[in-house]
Amino acid sequence: MLTIADTTFTSHLFTGTGKYSTSQMMFDAIKASGSEFVTLALHRLDLQHKRDDILTPLTQLGVKLLPNTAGAKSVQEAIFAAHLAREALQTNWIKLEVHPDAKYLLPDPVETLKAAESLVKEGFIVLPYCSADPVLCRRLEEVGCAAVMPLAAPIGSNQGLQTKTFLQIIVEQANVPVVVDAGIGAPSHALAALELGADAVLVNTAIAKAEKPVAMATAFRLAVEAGVAIKSSKLAEQHQHAVASSPSTSFLSA
Amino acid sequence: MSITINDIETEFYQPQTIIALLEQLKQPTIGIALAINQTIIPKDEWATYQVQDNDSIIIFQAIAGG
Repeated sequence: MLTIADTTFTSHLFTGTGKYSTSQMMFDAIKASGSEFVTLALHRLDLQHKRDDILTPLTQLGVKLLPNTAGAKSVQEAIFAAHLAREALQTNWIKLEVHPDAKYLLPDPVETLKAAESLVKEGFIVLPYCSADPVLCRRLEEVGCAAVMPLAAPIGSNQGLQTKTFLQIIVEQANVPVVVDAGIGAPSHALAALELGADAVLVNTAIAKAEKPVAMATAFRLAVEAGVAIKSSKLAEQHQHAVASSPSTSFLSA
Repeated sequence: MSITINDIETEFYQPQTIIALLEQLKQPTIGIALAINQTIIPKDEWATYQVQDNDSIIIFQAIAGG
């Protein structure tokens, strides 16, 4: 179980809704994943081409929706996007993401911190997507973010825990939940994130762009459950040398 | 009355509330937000807020994303 702000989640696997080949596939994969917390983006409405209604099936599934501010390049745009999201989905929860760099989509730390401070003051429950910078994460926590969401690797890159050393420091120092978000490409990466102490993972591309998203969603669900199970026990000690598993017995000598 | 919706100019024959406008566009209100002349109008005002001539409206929608 994991509590962020006033909400407790049973599943430590959060999922994105982007990049699926069809809305049905997205719905089926999210259902298979067991995820209870699902991100959405905002976009200008296309009056000519109506998109599939994804909100009705997601609402029926009972997942909590987390709108993001993807597309925002500055504090002002992020705040505007958060206000739009609040009206559109009638929620004050927001995934704050400000990534002006189009090639790597790395989050701008300065704009993110400023926007976070402002949005927290307005009563938003802010989950900031940020670089795996322990100092930044501490500052985000200090301005009142409900969690921190440091990246493992660039969005959609599937590279895994490239920032592992820094994630370990963040986990050690954080007093709010740590959600590893972006770059997780395989169930083993998700397990490793939880094993190093993260409270949850947010996964989108690794499931949506897998050969079989529903099967991959199941695999992620199991990996995250394993990661959560590990938390109740320290691992057995590591040694350089061998430590026999069977009692020694002599066969030939007296 | 001429208004711009998502950069497309449209003519309406009489003043409209936001709700009436959306009904004319056959646009459900779930999952959408809008700004008129760059000011977000809260959903609870849509039934009473009157759209004016030359207003520039941008309508946003919650969509799939990470």
